[in-house]
Amino acid sequence: MVEHTDGEFVREMMRWHFSPETGSSFWLKRAETLGFDPLTEVRDFGDLGLFPNVVDELRDVGVRELIPRGYGDEHGASVYESGGTTGQPKRVMYSAEWHRRSVEWFSERLDSHGVPRNVDWLSAVPTGPHNVGAMAVDTAMLRGGLNFSIDLDPRWVKKLIGQGNTDMASAYTDHLIEQVGYILASQDVGVLFATPPMLERLAQHDDLVELVNRKVRAIIWGGTHLDADTRDLLRDEVFASATFVGGYGGTMMLGTSVERPGLGADEPCVFDSFAPYTTFRVVDPDTGRVVPYGERGQIVLHHMSRSALLVNNIERDYATRIAPVDGGFGDAVADVAPVASFGDTAVVEGVY
Amino acid sequence: MPSLDVLGPGGPYRSRRQETIRDLAGKPAATLSLAPSLYVTRAIKALRRAPALPVDTRIAALAQAGRAFATQTIAGLTAQEYQHTVSAVTGIPITVVRNATDDIARAAERIHLNVENARPAGAVRSWRDPKARDGAAVWTRRGEVFAVHAAGNHPAVHQGWLDALALGYRVAVRPSRREPFTPHRLVTALREAGFGDEGVVLLPTDHHVAGDILRHADFGMVYGGADVVAKYAGDPRILPQGPGRSKVLITAETEWEPIVDTLVESISSGAGVGCVNATGVLVEGDPAPVAAAIAERLAALPSLPATDERAVLPVMPVDPARRWDKHLRQRAAGAKAWLGGDGIADDLGDGSAVLRPAVHQLDSPFAEQLGMELGFPCAWVAPWDRDAGVRPLRDTLVLTAVTTDANLIDELVAEPTIANVYVGDHPTPWMGHGLPHDGYLAEFLMRTKTIRC
Repeated sequence: MVEHTDGEFVREMMRWHFSPETGSSFWLKRAETLGFDPLTEVRDFGDLGLFPNVVDELRDVGVRELIPRGYGDEHGASVYESGGTTGQPKRVMYSAEWHRRSVEWFSERLDSHGVPRNVDWLSAVPTGPHNVGAMAVDTAMLRGGLNFSIDLDPRWVKKLIGQGNTDMASAYTDHLIEQVGYILASQDVGVLFATPPMLERLAQHDDLVELVNRKVRAIIWGGTHLDADTRDLLRDEVFASATFVGGYGGTMMLGTSVERPGLGADEPCVFDSFAPYTTFRVVDPDTGRVVPYGERGQIVLHHMSRSALLVNNIERDYATRIAPVDGGFGDAVADVAPVASFGDTAVVEGVY
Repeated sequence: MPSLDVLGPGGPYRSRRQETIRDLAGKPAATLSLAPSLYVTRAIKALRRAPALPVDTRIAALAQAGRAFATQTIAGLTAQEYQHTVSAVTGIPITVVRNATDDIARAAERIHLNVENARPAGAVRSWRDPKARDGAAVWTRRGEVFAVHAAGNHPAVHQGWLDALALGYRVAVRPSRREPFTPHRLVTALREAGFGDEGVVLLPTDHHVAGDILRHADFGMVYGGADVVAKYAGDPRILPQGPGRSKVLITAETEWEPIVDTLVESISSGAGVGCVNATGVLVEGDPAPVAAAIAERLAALPSLPATDERAVLPVMPVDPARRWDKHLRQRAAGAKAWLGGDGIADDLGDGSAVLRPAVHQLDSPFAEQLGMELGFPCAWVAPWDRDAGVRPLRDTLVLTAVTTDANLIDELVAEPTIANVYVGDHPTPWMGHGLPHDGYLAEFLMRTKTIRC
């Protein structure tokens, strides 16, 4: 039953992206060099392995070529970029339809964690060209809140750290914290959306910790990985009065996955993806084979929606493979952590 | 298997991130909790908030901790179990570990000597001193929190930070991940003796987080090689502790035959793993007979497992031992090998190898090998003359100068990069309580200020 559904979904996506009337010029052109026919040979999730990983091509391709023709003039496209962790930034297109669904799904997940509605947000996450800022604004709005946003340029921080300019990176983070402080002090903030490095830095300021504990009822974290020990400390000791919800997202995912609700304090943070549109596989990096549940491997990511087709994308991250909820698609992942190097580029995590 | 917890200001902390420490045969010996950055930041903040104990209480607590460290069951381990574990994990002979235990205990018991001897003669201890009424220099701390990146080459390195505690600093120790047992035991003993959870903490971390400990503390001390010294050379808050490069100088008018014992002891006592072990032996005149005599004596040292009562040489897993062997041979190219030329790794057949002594003769007092310090008895014997002067003797922790030349002794004592000068028949590892090892730590941690009440 599930197999039938999953095949049905994959075939529908292939028809959309590889039919001349609906597919993007990028994929229609790229199909000629694939060496297989996606319309006939890609029947289900298992066949996605046939696709090459094309994300590197997104560093150069004109974004208009990524817009599926099927949308006509109603695509409502927004352009977002990766953080440039692994080289030049990559660029993707989010249709208005996809962005809306992604925000709605995110919001539902927050409901399942008991994140309050009708409260205002403070989002210390990157804004454009990254998607997460728009996600914050629209999710807060959908849930009846205003969003206070601070500017945060993750690429600049990564560059500083990569050059060994830790003092300057630290000064920049202090500058961000100062802005966070102004908002926390003067506004009624119910949800704090921030990256782990920002939360760690915030934790060094007793006055701000006090403000967060007095006002903020939920903390949503994401953007960089958060190790289990630090998560425990932030959640149980520093910001003990807020609900913690983790997100693991990315530009090439076109969205985020969200921490599974209802897990015990000692259990690892498990991320469920927005299946079937985004799905994970956890594989042995040497053999490409899926590892058994409970074991670690590298994350392979598929995104399939009418907005985009980005499958078989080997992420920079490692994770523990966890069974999906209720026989869903793909894998859930836990204890996500970046590899030390990716390709020839050392992975530098900054404030995002 | 023991779990070595982080010893933080809120008590012991067991992280999810654990590292297994193995003995030389690869058998797990303990697990070590690694503290994340956020924990470190908060711990040092807590230390800063904690008040310093009164000086008499500190001195008494140090003495008590020293005794407990050497004799009592601490964190579930008897002194014997602790010593056996350190020996089995590090390959340092059991008797050396035992001596180090006693040295640490005595250093703690006699810490008041260091503190008193380091205080400038004109300075008073407190503003309450009657002398302050007319104006006096009072000796005060420059900060509150002192951090240590400890070395794992020898348990006795942990004497190095006790002065800071005695001076009223709250101390954060980041142990070596190779040998966290000694600082874990010592910190536990100190906490139990009165320093409490907020007086001294043990913060094992991975190397990413290590820098945070120094960053958040007021002052810090770091052990390491030349790279570490260079890295912190420009940081006035950090006191780097580099290689010892201890040396012996024998001038022409003195007899070397009667002091061969001292030479051998300088090179090989404590298994030759310490910074006070002699690396260079400079001889005015022909160095060959000196090298031959040392080599003959060192060749007789037995190869035994570290935990054997008669062991006197360090032991290592076979692979790194072979790498050291190779490294030594590459660096020794061109030198005459008196001992160890055909290899220094002696396979014990259980996955470990003894590192045997090496003695090489160099052509010049300026040969670069003189600065090469390794974790086993390894001596470089070189000719020296008055023209070479003090230059080859620079950058030395302990210099034993077997000479009667008072002008030369003047020069050696005046040379800023020689930390200690022993004149005559004294082995380089000799240390006296109350005397500075590399200057008094107090010179770095304290200042005088004028006070008038």
